[in-house]
Amino acid sequence: MNSRGRSEVGGQQPRVLVVDDGITMRMFYRSVLEGAGFGVEEATNGVEGYEKLLAQPFDLMIVDINMPKMDGYSMVRMVRGDPNVRMVPAIMVSTEANTQDVVLAYEAGANFYLRKPVVPEELVLVSRLIAGVPAQ
Amino acid sequence: MALVKGSNLATLPVPQPARDLATLLADLAAAEPSVRRAAARDLALHPEAAMAACDRLVMEASPSVRAVLFTTLIHLQSPAVAVRLAALLRSDDAPLRNAAIEALQEMPDAFAAHLQELLADDDSDVRIFAVNILGALRHTQAPVWLAGVVRSDPHVNVCAAAVDGLAEVGGLEALADLEDLRRRFDGNAFMEFAIDAAMRRIRGE
Amino acid sequence: MATATVAHLKASSPVMTDEEFAKFCEFFYRKTGIQFQDGKKYYVERRIADRIEKTGSDSFRDYFTLVRFEANGEELQFLVNSMTVNETYFFREDYQFDALVGGILPEIARTKRRGDPIRIWSIPCSSGEEPYSIAISILERWDQADSWNIEICASDIDSKILHEARKGLFSERSVSRVSAQLRSKYFVPRIGGDFQICDALRESIDFSLVNVVDPLHTHRFRNIDVIFCRNLLIYFDDVGRRETVEMFFDALGPGGYICLGHSESMSRMSSIFVPRKFKESIVYQKPLSAE
Repeated sequence: MNSRGRSEVGGQQPRVLVVDDGITMRMFYRSVLEGAGFGVEEATNGVEGYEKLLAQPFDLMIVDINMPKMDGYSMVRMVRGDPNVRMVPAIMVSTEANTQDVVLAYEAGANFYLRKPVVPEELVLVSRLIAGVPAQ
Repeated sequence: MALVKGSNLATLPVPQPARDLATLLADLAAAEPSVRRAAARDLALHPEAAMAACDRLVMEASPSVRAVLFTTLIHLQSPAVAVRLAALLRSDDAPLRNAAIEALQEMPDAFAAHLQELLADDDSDVRIFAVNILGALRHTQAPVWLAGVVRSDPHVNVCAAAVDGLAEVGGLEALADLEDLRRRFDGNAFMEFAIDAAMRRIRGE
Repeated sequence: MATATVAHLKASSPVMTDEEFAKFCEFFYRKTGIQFQDGKKYYVERRIADRIEKTGSDSFRDYFTLVRFEANGEELQFLVNSMTVNETYFFREDYQFDALVGGILPEIARTKRRGDPIRIWSIPCSSGEEPYSIAISILERWDQADSWNIEICASDIDSKILHEARKGLFSERSVSRVSAQLRSKYFVPRIGGDFQICDALRESIDFSLVNVVDPLHTHRFRNIDVIFCRNLLIYFDDVGRRETVEMFFDALGPGGYICLGHSESMSRMSSIFVPRKFKESIVYQKPLSAE
C-alpha cells in the first residue's frame, strides 16, 4: 500500500478525474491518459467534479480553472475542506499564465499547474508524478 | 405519532404588497443575505433597476445573492446589461467572471450586439471567454461566428476554444476552415487532436 | 417530402450514426443531466424519429439544429418529455429514503433543540406515493422519530392529483414494493384490490396546491429541513431551474437539504448548494452559516 492507500501489488489502475467544460479537452485527456494506463472519468464543471469525487475514489484530478457553475479554484478549495476527499491531489490547468494565477492555484490547494495548450508527454509525466504512480 | 400536521401554512400572515423600487434598492444593501436575496429577486419586476443590479454585483460577497442578481439580470436582459456583464470578463474574481459568462449565454441577442468588440479585444483570455459563450449560445449565427474566429484569431488557445465550440455546434461548412487551422498549427499535438475530433463530430462519423 | 423521407428512415436505416448519437447524448446530458445507458440507443432513436417527423425536419442533423438553436427551447421540452418516464410508485428511488433516515435526519437532529419541528417538503407530490413513502420510512426506520415533531408538507400544481393524494388510494402496482408487513400496518385493503393509506397517516400530511414559480405560493415555506424535488426540474429551462433552485434555497433553513431525482444534478442548475454524500446518494446542502 503506498502513501495514498492504493495497492501497487495488485496492479490496480490509477484513476484520474478530468474536469473541464471543453469537450475536445476532455477527449484529449482521455486519449492521452488512457494510453498511459489511467482509468479516466470526466466532469464538465466544478459541481459535477465534486460530485464524482464524492462518489468514487480517485488518485488524481485535473481541473480547468474557467468553467460554468463552479470554477476550478472554488472546486479545489471545497475539496481541500472536505475530509472525505481532501487527499486527492490536483493539477490545475489554465490558459492564463501570470504569476498571480499560479499563486492563486497553489493557494486554492493545487499540487501542480499546467498551461494550455497541454503537451501530451508533459501531461503523462506530471500525472504519474502527482498521482504517485511508479516510474515505468 | 411522530408525524404532526404543521399549522404554519394556515397561520402565516397574508403576503405583503410588492415593495416599491426605493425600498428594494435599499434592501439590496441590507445586512442580512436573505433580505438582499429577496430584493435581488423582486428587482426582476423593475427593468429600470437593471443598472443598479449590475452595480451591486461587483460589491456583493454572498454567492447566493450574486446568483439571484444574475438570474434577475437574465430576466432584464438588454444590450446595456450585456455591456456591463461583458466588463466582468476582465475581473480577477473567477467565480464572478464565470457566472457572468453563464448569464451572457442566456441572452443571445443582447450578447450578439457586442460580440465583435469582444472578439477583437487585446486580451486573449477575454476573447476565449467570448468564444466559450458562443459555444453555448442559442443563436443560429453561432457556428458562423466560431468559424470566423478559427480563420482570423492569431492565438492558439482562442482557436482551441473555437474548435471546441465547433465540435458542439459546427456544421459541414466549418470543415474547410478547420483543415486550414490544422495547417496553421502544424506540430501542435493538442490542436491536431482537437481539430480531428471536431471534424469527426461534424461529419457524424 | 419530409414525411416520405422520415418514413423511409423509420422503416430501414438508423436515425443517426454512432457519432451523432454520442453528440446528441452529450448535448442532452449537458442540458438535463440525464445520461442514457448503453443499450438505450434504440429507445432514444425511436423517440427522436418521432420528433423529427412531428417537427417536419428533414434529417437528424436538421432536427438537432432546431433543438439547439430554437430561442424558446420548446422542442427541447417536448424531447425531454418524450424521453422521461413518469411512473410513480411507493419507495421509488428508495436509496434516497435510506439516505434520509440513515444520514440526513440524524445530522439535522444534532443541530436542533428539543421541541424544534423537523420539516420535510415533497414537491411535486403527485398522487402521494412520495410523501407517504417518506412518512413510512421515517416511522419504520428512524429510531429518533418519536422524539421529534415531524411535519411533512406535500405540494403539487395539479389540484386533481392532490385530491388523489389526499384520498390515498393506491393500486397493487403502486404498492408492489411495499412488504406485506408494512401493508398491513399502514394500509387498509379496499374493494377492487386497491389499498388505502390509514387515516392517521393521511391526516398527518399537509397537502397544498403550489406552483413553484409563483412567489405568492412559495413564500409560505420557510425553515424547511429537507426538500424532495425529484424529476421536476428536468422539465424546466435553464432560467426556470435557476429560479426554482434559488427559491428552494430561501425555503430551506441553514444546513437544510434538497434531494433531486436519480438522474438529476445541481451541476446543471446552480452552485449555491454544496454536494454531500449519504449512503449511496448525492444530496445538496444549504450552507450552515449565512454568508
